[in-house]
Amino acid sequence: MFRLQRNTQAPTISVELSEEEADAFGAELDALRAEIVADLGQSDVDHIRSIIRWCQYSEAGGRALLHFGIGPLSFVLGAGALTVSKILENMEIGHNIMHGQYDWTRDPELDSGTYDWDNACAAENWQHYHNFEHHKYTNILGKDRDIGYGLLRVSEEQEWNPSHLVQPISALILASLFQWGVAAHDLHVDEVRPNRKSVMALYERSRPFLKKARRQLAKDYLFFPALALANAPRVFAGNMIANFGRNLWTFAVIFCGHFPDGVRIYSEEECENESRGQWYARQINGSANIEGGRLFHIMTGHLSHQIEHHLFPQIPAARYPQIAERVQEICERYGQAYNTDSFGSQLGGVARKILRYALPGPARPQATAATA
Amino acid sequence: MPAPSTQAAASDLPTTRRAPKRTSFSEAAARAAQRLHLDRQLRFWVHELSPLSTPDRMLARVTGIHDETHDTKTFTLRAGRGWQGHTPGQFTNVDVEIDGVRQTRCYSVSSAPSSRHLSITVKRVSGGLVSNWLHDHLQVGDIIGISPADGDFVLPDDAATLLFIAAGSGITPMLSMARDLAARGAFEDTVMVYYARSADDLIAGDELSRIAAEHSGFRYVAIRDDAHDGTGGFDEARLRDMVPDLFDRAAFTCGPAGLMDRVEAMWRDAGVESRLQRERFTLPTLTDAGGDPNVERSVVLTSSGRTAEVTGGETILAGLERAGEKPAHGCRMGICKMCRCRKVSGSVRNVVTGEISDAPDQDIQICISAANSDLALAL
Repeated sequence: MFRLQRNTQAPTISVELSEEEADAFGAELDALRAEIVADLGQSDVDHIRSIIRWCQYSEAGGRALLHFGIGPLSFVLGAGALTVSKILENMEIGHNIMHGQYDWTRDPELDSGTYDWDNACAAENWQHYHNFEHHKYTNILGKDRDIGYGLLRVSEEQEWNPSHLVQPISALILASLFQWGVAAHDLHVDEVRPNRKSVMALYERSRPFLKKARRQLAKDYLFFPALALANAPRVFAGNMIANFGRNLWTFAVIFCGHFPDGVRIYSEEECENESRGQWYARQINGSANIEGGRLFHIMTGHLSHQIEHHLFPQIPAARYPQIAERVQEICERYGQAYNTDSFGSQLGGVARKILRYALPGPARPQATAATA
Repeated sequence: MPAPSTQAAASDLPTTRRAPKRTSFSEAAARAAQRLHLDRQLRFWVHELSPLSTPDRMLARVTGIHDETHDTKTFTLRAGRGWQGHTPGQFTNVDVEIDGVRQTRCYSVSSAPSSRHLSITVKRVSGGLVSNWLHDHLQVGDIIGISPADGDFVLPDDAATLLFIAAGSGITPMLSMARDLAARGAFEDTVMVYYARSADDLIAGDELSRIAAEHSGFRYVAIRDDAHDGTGGFDEARLRDMVPDLFDRAAFTCGPAGLMDRVEAMWRDAGVESRLQRERFTLPTLTDAGGDPNVERSVVLTSSGRTAEVTGGETILAGLERAGEKPAHGCRMGICKMCRCRKVSGSVRNVVTGEISDAPDQDIQICISAANSDLALAL
């Protein structure tokens, strides 16, 4: 499915497009988008419904094994099935529905306006910082708060401060609690000042988060354990492992989407008055793909096709593999680097950055290896 | 002119009938599930195990399909959870999935009232998406969505003498009324005049003749366009001859716009318009309502930031669709209100009522509104 290591080639640098080139580039991508949109139909709906069915059956199966099973094997299988279900729900189902990828079906179950995914992050918070801030201002330092999640330094452009020294450890903590990181992300905790007004404002904007967090915790750590009676500790532990597994997986996939080697960070000035074509180019240069098989892509919610997702966040994600080749071909003709590699390589690139940028310094990772 | 809608009832008044409020076990369970974010799971498993019990959605299973005429079929349905029967003359919103997209249309219920069963009678509309799909793809055993019955095209409680003037598939709401009156033996003095192209186009013609033979209080006259003696087609004088006391009766009409306009004119001229109940299946032509197809209006969609051009001679919905937009909508004729959206600025006219909306921040139904000026809509 994916190879662990592979020679990392020096990332190709994209050429700067002239205004005319950028317009032509944008027009080609617009045409590709229009072509796919016109082709949407029953098979797209059948796909997402079949994933929903898999997700529901694996949740029910996983919970049944945890609740009624005896012995370690049923525990491992139960926690595993529950993990798979949580991953499917968050990635291929929740993330993609909340992007509005299935709004055209007019099915209320697939409606971005009402869908709220099964994790600690409140839909309204996510709609704002992810759909708006992150997708519009992708990789613009100072605007896209997803760069390092306000916690990690993942590029030389970010200013160093002493808290970054421990970021190899904070990254591991963020990975294991990722849903809480995502959930708290829109609360702007870092902007809180030590005065009553600022703290009250934080409390006010935390309401959707607190409500959702309470219910999520109650479900996995009170309701289901209580339902299991004598098996309560087992169910409690199984739910915790499933949440933990889902967190690690989503962290890995998402960090591979924007922070591997060769992904570019932009300044606000660079992006002023940018045309549609230039916006497309930034999406491509600010994203990276992960190679893998069909099952792998589904388990990542097709965020393994981060480039296609950033170009067309509202096209049903299961279409991305189908258009990837054509996007790559267009990129080649316009001299745009198309960053794709195995899961192992991309993850390695992210890990190297987290280690390297824990220390101050603007130099490239390879060059500083000797001096650091 | 907009694409002719499939047959439907066109009452624009909100229904006054509401289900009595009561908290059942299933509602309490649904609330608890919602509090724990398990409502999706609940809906999925109920739908998986017993589709007709699905909460939040009213479904029906197709139990029979039969041909009424060469272009009209009746689908009998067994309604699921939530169906509370209908009053003869009312319609239901039917929703089906075509190419992955949910499509909604209104159809009059053609059967007599029942708490479990209903039927809809659907004529193929040339170029009509839903009616043709129902004819070509819907099978016995399939499940479709329905809505609680709605509409004010219903019999009055007190009127003893009735007159039904139906044409084509406009017979369907009156079929339900006639079947109900027959089942209850409640005909006192009812006349039904049914206009159709030919004998082959009569929907439920045999059944209506049989009801007339069995019930002395029911007179049934079928008038065919292809009659050789020159008595075919609608004619005001002949109608008056056939039913001399027509204006004294509680009258109901439903059919193509041309016929309904003439019937309406008769009752208006006689000064008794209030005694005529109407059910429109098709929108009046837009040019009659003062629209100009040569005038381009630009519509700014404030949510998406896009702009589209529509003309004064089409509904805003039709114009936006022509421009590649896919606004939410249902019946396409002003009934279901699924297309309702906030008009931020500009002037529109309701093509059914002629009413003008020119104040900012009003809700309009884009399926029955045409642009009188440039617009901004919260879409």
